[in-house]
Amino acid sequence: MDRRSSTVATIMAPVTFTIDAQDCGGVVASLTELGFVFEPARQARTTTLDTFDGRLHRAGLLLDLDELDESGRLELTLSGRGVVPARVGVVALPRSPGDLPVGPFRSRLERITGLRALMPQMERVTRRRAGAWCNDDGKIVARAFLENETRLLMPASSAALPVTLEIHDVAGYPKWAQRAVERVAALGVARTEGDTAALYARAAGVDSGGFRSSPAVPLDPAAPAVEGFRMVLANLARTIRANWQGTIDQMDTEFLHDLRIALRRTRTVLGAAKGVLAPDVRDGARERFGWLAGLTGPARDLDVYLLEWDLYVNPLEPGVASALAPVRSLLMRRTVNAHAELEAALRSEGASDFIGGWTRWLSEPIGETDRERYAGRPMGVLVAKRIARHHAIVIERGSLIEPTTPADEVHGLRKDAKRLRYLVECFGSLLPDASRRRFVNRLKALQDNLGAFQDAEVHAAMLRGVAQELHEAGASADTMVAIGQLAERLDRQRLDARAEFAERFAAFDTRAARRALKETLAAIAP
Amino acid sequence: MKIVATYSIKGGVGKTTTAVNLAHEAAVAGARVLLWDLDPQGAATFIARVRPSLKGGAARLAGSRGQLGAAIRATDDPAVHLAPADFSLRHLDIHLRQAEHPRRRFAMLLEPLTDAYDVVLIDCAPGITLTSESVFATAHALVVPVVPSALSHRTLEQLDDFLRDRPDPPLVLPFASMVDRRKTLHRQHVARLAEAVPEFLPTVIADTAVVERMGSQRGPVAAYAPRAAVAIAYRRLWADIAARVWP
Repeated sequence: MDRRSSTVATIMAPVTFTIDAQDCGGVVASLTELGFVFEPARQARTTTLDTFDGRLHRAGLLLDLDELDESGRLELTLSGRGVVPARVGVVALPRSPGDLPVGPFRSRLERITGLRALMPQMERVTRRRAGAWCNDDGKIVARAFLENETRLLMPASSAALPVTLEIHDVAGYPKWAQRAVERVAALGVARTEGDTAALYARAAGVDSGGFRSSPAVPLDPAAPAVEGFRMVLANLARTIRANWQGTIDQMDTEFLHDLRIALRRTRTVLGAAKGVLAPDVRDGARERFGWLAGLTGPARDLDVYLLEWDLYVNPLEPGVASALAPVRSLLMRRTVNAHAELEAALRSEGASDFIGGWTRWLSEPIGETDRERYAGRPMGVLVAKRIARHHAIVIERGSLIEPTTPADEVHGLRKDAKRLRYLVECFGSLLPDASRRRFVNRLKALQDNLGAFQDAEVHAAMLRGVAQELHEAGASADTMVAIGQLAERLDRQRLDARAEFAERFAAFDTRAARRALKETLAAIAP
Repeated sequence: MKIVATYSIKGGVGKTTTAVNLAHEAAVAGARVLLWDLDPQGAATFIARVRPSLKGGAARLAGSRGQLGAAIRATDDPAVHLAPADFSLRHLDIHLRQAEHPRRRFAMLLEPLTDAYDVVLIDCAPGITLTSESVFATAHALVVPVVPSALSHRTLEQLDDFLRDRPDPPLVLPFASMVDRRKTLHRQHVARLAEAVPEFLPTVIADTAVVERMGSQRGPVAAYAPRAAVAIAYRRLWADIAARVWP
């Protein structure tokens, strides 16, 4: 048994065996002879939950929802290697930790899952037999779980699943489980890697690690540019497709966020593909991706407003939050409407046909018509030039920003900074890790400042619209005064961000930073 | 990780039965629980069917290299672990006194377990000792069983007096324990306590044969009599405590 470093005496990973169905009786008899007592087999249904991007799996945890009996009682168990298991009764499959009762179980899950929803990853029905081995004091010192006749309901799979036996140690009594493991191994039964859930996930082709939407793909700086651009675009298309349905279903706010970013990244990469991809393909796709990204704007802006609501409202005077309840309700209604419009757009034939066609085009071999002027240039050379150009735009535009510069100009700089960041991230594999990270961190600090300014601008504008609507609907004086306080706070945030801009920009555009970027780009474009 | 101790200056008021049942209820509510039996009698250890044995005894535990983690055993409830007691704990005060900073030494025993458990329930021995003072300095809350008698009320006042001037004292959460509702005097005492002590928890734990069976059943009431009124009362008691510890 693998011993995990733990502050608790001994909690070890369960040992899993796969057993031929005809040997099952013999294994149970052998463990019974050792001292195990097995309960009768019972039908069990287990749903394994995780976030879309596998955050629980990456934290080494397994979240299972079990139907305890025919009455439909449900229990959620959070377990993992070297972790004391926790359980909590629930009435239905939780969609997020927020659906669980307040307490440590929910808090732990919330810390790990963040904004992400819990989604069923795998569902199985099985005949399960639990066994326990007790010492002379009647204390359980080892446990065994046998799963037989297992069928996967989700994802539906006709793969034949083996009978499995898991042996669990009990903290403080490691030798007993070890003896049980040795007994089973002596019968010639095969041990398998990982636990039962991992075994079934492998059999069903489920990637327990979840979907990772990294914009970077491995690129060869010497390869023709057209190949590299298409690889980057194909990777982004994969992210768009992966987040499409979750955005429609509103599983959590991160689906829309990731979809929107992937759409914008695609548009930026297409912009940088001038002379690499055929103009009819590039220009048409750029326009359509711009249209799609635009569709996501209102819903995302409202999502951000609601996500940041507590940050805005909590510092205000006591009582203001309750007076602002009508504002929040109105924003929520608008969010529902914005998502409904977005859903309709994403479900439209125009949108799905375009994405389908784009995906097909990316999967086709590179044709002669794609051989534009720079298509055959080495990837590294072209990307270095495009990044340098975007960097120069940001520097030029940023240098012109003064305290009195109109907000539109600041917003323009924000968009330029985003484009630069997208390029560096999407073609990141060409750049040395350390210098790329340093550059992105500096750029991110600038973007945070520009983002705080822009969010306050957008939210203040939204608030003006909301105030007008609520005033016409006869909102109370308390609410109108509270709106005034919130507007004041947003204005302060806007002014603070603006006052801080010069310092942030100076930190981004240092002589050393320019030199470092030049050296980095020279390394991929000799 | 929240640290909750069942404590009373007075003995025989139901500290151990409270600790064992609250450990179960905390686990049912989703917590990973460590039940630390600090009473040399080792009643909680006995109920959990764990052998009363601390390797190296209290001397090693209180020493500079003492580790509580090494002593921990799982109970039959996978979410509840137990740090067992043995008779050597009767000398824990002496060994703690030898440490440079006894209260700090005591707190350090729990520090490495912060990520492993959500709740530590400490079953204390009665009386005011260096060990109990160390518990006061470490715990977020003291759950104090108060039996319905004038003497019990007095010991609660003594505890309040003792904690009054301490920096960052734990929450004191008294509740009525071992109440026989058939007795007028008991009912009067409970009513008087609830009126006189604002923090008094509303749940009353009855003195019933079901609770007495914990010694022979060796488990929390809910494990062998889940529908008993007192099992439900312990669930409510944990909810009362949780609402105050996790406001």
